[in-house]
Amino acid sequence: MSDSPMFWRIVRRLLTANYGRLFVILLALGAGAAITSALLNLQIDAKRRLTTEFRALGANVIIAPRDANANSAGGTLEQALLAGLPTENAGKSVPAVAFLYVIGEVAKAGEVHHQAAVIAGAEGQGLTQVRPGRRTEYSAEKEKDPAACEIGAKAAEQFKVHVGDSLHLRNQGREATCKVFAVVATGGPEDTQIFTKLPTAQALADLPGRISLAQLSVTGTPDSIERFINALAQRLPGADVHGVRQLAQAEGKLYNRISGLLSTTVILVLILTSLCVMAGMSNVAIERKNDVGLMKAIGGSVRRVVRLFLAEAILMGIAGGVIGSAFGVLGSIWLGKAVFGVAAQPRWIVYPVSVGITILVSIASAFPLRRLASVRPASVFRGEA
Amino acid sequence: MFLRLVADSFTRRPKRKMLTLAALALGMAVATAALSVSLDVGDRLAQEFRSLGANLLVTPEADSLPLEIGGVDYRPANAGAYLPEADLGKLKTIFWRFNIKAFAPILETQIKATPVAWVNGGRNVRTHPVIGTWVNHSVKIPDGTTYTTGIEHTNPWWQLTEGTWFAEGKNECVVGKNFARHPPGFSSPLGPGQPLFTYMANGEPGPTLEVVGILDAGGPEDDAIIVPLDLAQKLSGKPGEYRRLYVSALTKPEDAFARKDPKTMTPAEFDKWYCTPYISSIALQISQELKGTDVRVIRRVAEGEGTILTRVRTLLWLVTIAALLAAALAVGASAAASVIERRTEIGLMKALGAGSGLVGVLLAAEQLLVAFVGGGIGYAVGILLARILGEKIFGFTPEPKFFLFFMVLVLASLITLLGSAYPLRRASRYDPAPILRGE
Repeated sequence: MSDSPMFWRIVRRLLTANYGRLFVILLALGAGAAITSALLNLQIDAKRRLTTEFRALGANVIIAPRDANANSAGGTLEQALLAGLPTENAGKSVPAVAFLYVIGEVAKAGEVHHQAAVIAGAEGQGLTQVRPGRRTEYSAEKEKDPAACEIGAKAAEQFKVHVGDSLHLRNQGREATCKVFAVVATGGPEDTQIFTKLPTAQALADLPGRISLAQLSVTGTPDSIERFINALAQRLPGADVHGVRQLAQAEGKLYNRISGLLSTTVILVLILTSLCVMAGMSNVAIERKNDVGLMKAIGGSVRRVVRLFLAEAILMGIAGGVIGSAFGVLGSIWLGKAVFGVAAQPRWIVYPVSVGITILVSIASAFPLRRLASVRPASVFRGEA
Repeated sequence: MFLRLVADSFTRRPKRKMLTLAALALGMAVATAALSVSLDVGDRLAQEFRSLGANLLVTPEADSLPLEIGGVDYRPANAGAYLPEADLGKLKTIFWRFNIKAFAPILETQIKATPVAWVNGGRNVRTHPVIGTWVNHSVKIPDGTTYTTGIEHTNPWWQLTEGTWFAEGKNECVVGKNFARHPPGFSSPLGPGQPLFTYMANGEPGPTLEVVGILDAGGPEDDAIIVPLDLAQKLSGKPGEYRRLYVSALTKPEDAFARKDPKTMTPAEFDKWYCTPYISSIALQISQELKGTDVRVIRRVAEGEGTILTRVRTLLWLVTIAALLAAALAVGASAAASVIERRTEIGLMKALGAGSGLVGVLLAAEQLLVAFVGGGIGYAVGILLARILGEKIFGFTPEPKFFLFFMVLVLASLITLLGSAYPLRRASRYDPAPILRGE
């Protein structure tokens, strides 16, 4: 284009003609971009973070024997399958613990009177994640003991034991002892159980290499957990892999509501931003009547005039978007910290997306400039409004 | 004259005012919607979390250790302690009775059951867990009213894939889906309408039950037979008693204060703690009302609910503030634009002898009028928007709040004045001559 330097010169003049107005429009675009990018980033982060938070609810996937007989000694699974479990889903590690339940007889070491109790042998990564609760007593040092065991709050009360005491376990003539390293209160059946190392329970039950079930705490969106379950079920044809319905349903519902809310807000904010810029632009249109009249009078085509204003809008969109989005992404890191206690991870994809959206908004809000196309040079020069 | 000028500026150029008005109305609509949704949604979200099920478990205080594996208690029926069913109405008399959303007692027993009548007393039939509970049960409250509750409220994830729930006082049962798929001693799956023959532990035939529904609970209950509590009491020989009670209560998330030991609190602190719906204070109130019980907090539900709820609420307010900010910007910018556009008029007024102050007051009055009209329209649209959003996202309708109306009007006037302050100041300083020349 031969008149390209002239074109840009006019654009520059258009932009710098009124600094106050440029500032208002840039502020509107920038603030819109900042809010958009902050919300977009927070939205991605909040969804991800929410799925992590849900894991405070404990195990959500259970691997049980296919023919789960009501009797405890009934169906068991190979312990070996624990080694083949996926350790990751959606970039988050999957805590998995295998349990073997035995109904045995228990007493505080040195006491004669034994009482029936459920002994749960546990092995795997992340028992506290799979079985959330509050440890009312705990000793990290005693946990290292090879014969360490944990006792439920209700059982601890019943046997009158505390951290450091020893327990005597027996089942059909087989015996074992263990040393209590923690007392746990979950409010569930775990409160009445005694958690030992898996081999101890296997020896008591005379079921070496067998487990009753495995519990997994899988992080992810409801869909991704569903896929995880299906994939696992195919890999373990002998076992029954199922999600914990109680959690799946509530999680899915909450997740959808919160992400729906965030998405709606982003859209509303965008509408408001474009309205804001539109107001500024309609002002511009009025002020520029004379300029446009002159351009047309000296032979500028409507298309060229419109191109000029479009170039101006795009430039403002880029400037507002680039600056505003940067602020927004930075702000969302801080916001993430305020909401979730952990700084939100900036998603770099958010940045170009939000700049792009801002440019689009800016072009769309140049809509009032459309009026300029109908400007008649003669009437403008006569001074008619 | 003043009023006429204000009125004229609306009637002469309605189109220009429309844009300002639209921006204002839309901005305020979003503000109203965001505020009314987030004001209501807090309580709503807490209710939503109740779909996680009960957060309190009540068991007998002086009890032998339950031998519970996979949700089934393996203790023989004569071991351990029981609680009286008749006391349960007292749950709705505690201080936070309206926060008790649902409760359901459980009595478990075991029985031999098969769809085919066995000749030799069912000796070859396996024993199956039986769960006795309430479904849609009317509880008599000591104040004379009744309250309807049951397991379908405490465990909302229990779904019937076929048939209906049993009726109380009848020999009806619902069977778990695994039990229904492979009923003992029967080759084809079980469905509603079929009989289930029961045998006591000593081989005596028990009542014949009618299967009325199939339960999909996604847990160990899928292998069990679920019967009305009164029937389970008859089968286990424990009339009027239950062993476990699940309570679903609306609570306030625990904060640092709630974690303090009530025993170490001062009387004033204790009163405050007692009168706050913390899970721990509700637990205490229940154990005071139901004698001889041990009320435990189901930690995974209560704590998970607490942390998530706190975070979601903060997030919600953040989003509301973002929406308010965007609305304020839109309103402010359009207000500013509407002043800039009136330069000629201002010039003329000044040329005719109006002082800067008078021009400012005139324009401010106009803007206020716009703010009132726009804010009013915005409030109406916002209530509608809140209704749509509330129903789409949360499945409920937020109550229109009247104080929001005033808030929105004040907000609209404030933002409009703030947005027009700077251009107004500039406008009042204009030199009329160049403007009137058209420069």
